[in-house]
Amino acid sequence: MQEKPEIVKLQSVGNLRVTMDDYFNRLKTADETKNKKIVWCTSVGPAELLYSMGFEVYFPENHGAMLGASKTADKYIPTAVAHGFSPDICSYLTSDIGAFLQNETPLQKSGFKSVPTPDILVYNTNQCREVGDWFSYYARYFKVPILEINTPLCINELTPSIIKSVAEQFKEIIPELEKVATQKFDIDKFRETIKLSHDGCVLWRQVLETAKNKPSPINFFDSAIHMGPIVVMRGTQHAVDYYKILLAELQERVRNGISAVPNEKLRLYWDGMPLWYKLSSNAKMFASLDTCIVASTYCNSWIFDALDPADPFESSALAYCKLFIVRADEEKEKVLTNLLSEFSIDGIIYHESKTCPRNSNNRYGLQNRLLEKTKVPFIEIHGDLNDSRCYSEEQSIISIETFIQQLANRK
Amino acid sequence: MYRIGIDLGSSFTKGVLVNEDNAIVDYFVGRTGFDFDKASKKVIDHFSAQHEIEYPIFTCGYGREKLTVPLVSNSEIIALSKAVFDIYKKPCSVIDIGGQDTKFVKINAEGQVDKFKMNRKCAAGTGSFLEEIAFRLDISALEFNEFAEKATEEIRINSFCTVFAVSEIIGMIKNGSNMPSIVLGIYNSIIERSFELALVEDFLVVTGGIPDNHPMILKLFKDKFKNTESPEKSQFLAAYGCVLLNTK
Repeated sequence: MQEKPEIVKLQSVGNLRVTMDDYFNRLKTADETKNKKIVWCTSVGPAELLYSMGFEVYFPENHGAMLGASKTADKYIPTAVAHGFSPDICSYLTSDIGAFLQNETPLQKSGFKSVPTPDILVYNTNQCREVGDWFSYYARYFKVPILEINTPLCINELTPSIIKSVAEQFKEIIPELEKVATQKFDIDKFRETIKLSHDGCVLWRQVLETAKNKPSPINFFDSAIHMGPIVVMRGTQHAVDYYKILLAELQERVRNGISAVPNEKLRLYWDGMPLWYKLSSNAKMFASLDTCIVASTYCNSWIFDALDPADPFESSALAYCKLFIVRADEEKEKVLTNLLSEFSIDGIIYHESKTCPRNSNNRYGLQNRLLEKTKVPFIEIHGDLNDSRCYSEEQSIISIETFIQQLANRK
Repeated sequence: MYRIGIDLGSSFTKGVLVNEDNAIVDYFVGRTGFDFDKASKKVIDHFSAQHEIEYPIFTCGYGREKLTVPLVSNSEIIALSKAVFDIYKKPCSVIDIGGQDTKFVKINAEGQVDKFKMNRKCAAGTGSFLEEIAFRLDISALEFNEFAEKATEEIRINSFCTVFAVSEIIGMIKNGSNMPSIVLGIYNSIIERSFELALVEDFLVVTGGIPDNHPMILKLFKDKFKNTESPEKSQFLAAYGCVLLNTK
């Protein structure tokens, strides 16, 4: 048997755990004592606006990822399917609703009786239509208001009319939020939250950019875990504080030449969603192949550095419309081309996620166009973010191992 | 001293015995089953009964890491490409149809893998597809080929799913379609699936247990793409490539 190299764990994991525990404790307290109102929000929804109005914000997509990473999603998806949801739609949705129907959640380990009860729900369609269907289910169940920011999909040029429309929608939901919130909207508080969100995003970008170093101090599997605060605490001091700690550790690693993958020989890009149920085993597999996944569409999507406290509404609209997933393929190609060059990428893995077409970028020929343009080889693997039944591991491992050997032969 | 190459396939384990001149002197194939170590030891026992063999053995395929004999592990796609290029010594596309995988490999002028692709998460169009149909209709691989040779027309098989394809075939039999036309349709669905993987240009090499055991499939490949060849005993190429990859 070949000896596998040891992966050096990030020390900041301890701080991450505390930061995330504190977040969930705030939600639990609000749920139990009703000291604060709870809003459910999509992961790239208007979190800053909601935090500025004093809500505790809960993100069902984060819960979906928890179900995937805890390898329990497969237990819940069939329940949602039996209740009329197709197994072909978003498996975050089906696993989350399935778990709800079974009255189970990984949060019960942290003392929650159930997921926190919403007072209101807010979603942004910038990712997909499923979020609307998903949130509507809960709005009907809990009989609470639901608000929508309707962002067009496949945006090529970000025109002033698109920005204006989305910015107006941000303003329009404020009176509805005020009916539920304990605080009135305050523009100064909103500006302050936008600044915190901007600062957090810049720090997150700097964290990810440490992977430009050779060898990289961080890999995709670390980033997928450490992105928790930028997803759920964007616009708070908590996220800013955490990323200062993580960034300092990574900079220290760069100075000391400590790499995420011992013997880094190849640097890959991961497009598409993580295979949450394989995060740890895939991290070990790539490390054993001396390969570091240094950048990804998924983690690099949470950089909303267009946010500007001087112009909070327009800049929010811009930031949430600039997001990779909202863009047309032409724009996506530009982003990917830059990332491949900036991170010195040797090859790309496209994960075509069966139930997440909008996060699968190899469905309309982009992969071939990018190959033509950049000459960076790729492979496609077929799986899913949460539904492990869609993933054929042996077949994927053969593909990955062959790809790595193919790339090594080119060097 | 002789060297052994073993390709642990999902259905069959293929072994080759190679002499000091890099020539194959013997072949062995057996069912893989659930015990990979046992399957590979059968190959080794077969060869070592008559020849002095040297370790490590050179392997590729499923579960090779679980073997308890000294070994050097290889990617089956890289090994297959090595053996194909060793024969033809020019750029080509390879379509390999195995028990549960169909692979497309593009080999460049230097013999390196430029690009490869495997079938999506579905075994339709692979050996398992034919095995399932053969089992349900109670016919052998040999009979499959004989039926296809007699076909005067083709009936198209539409189902993506292997199990539903069998249901579709049973429906066709019920409606009076003849077996030769149905089998030709089954063969053509394999061809269609293979060419769907990627664009084939210039020169195509077809390999694997399916073209070896179903000569009509190879003929249909040639009908579809004229510049097609398939070496004899092509299902052993990956095993042979494992040895070549480790030859200085």
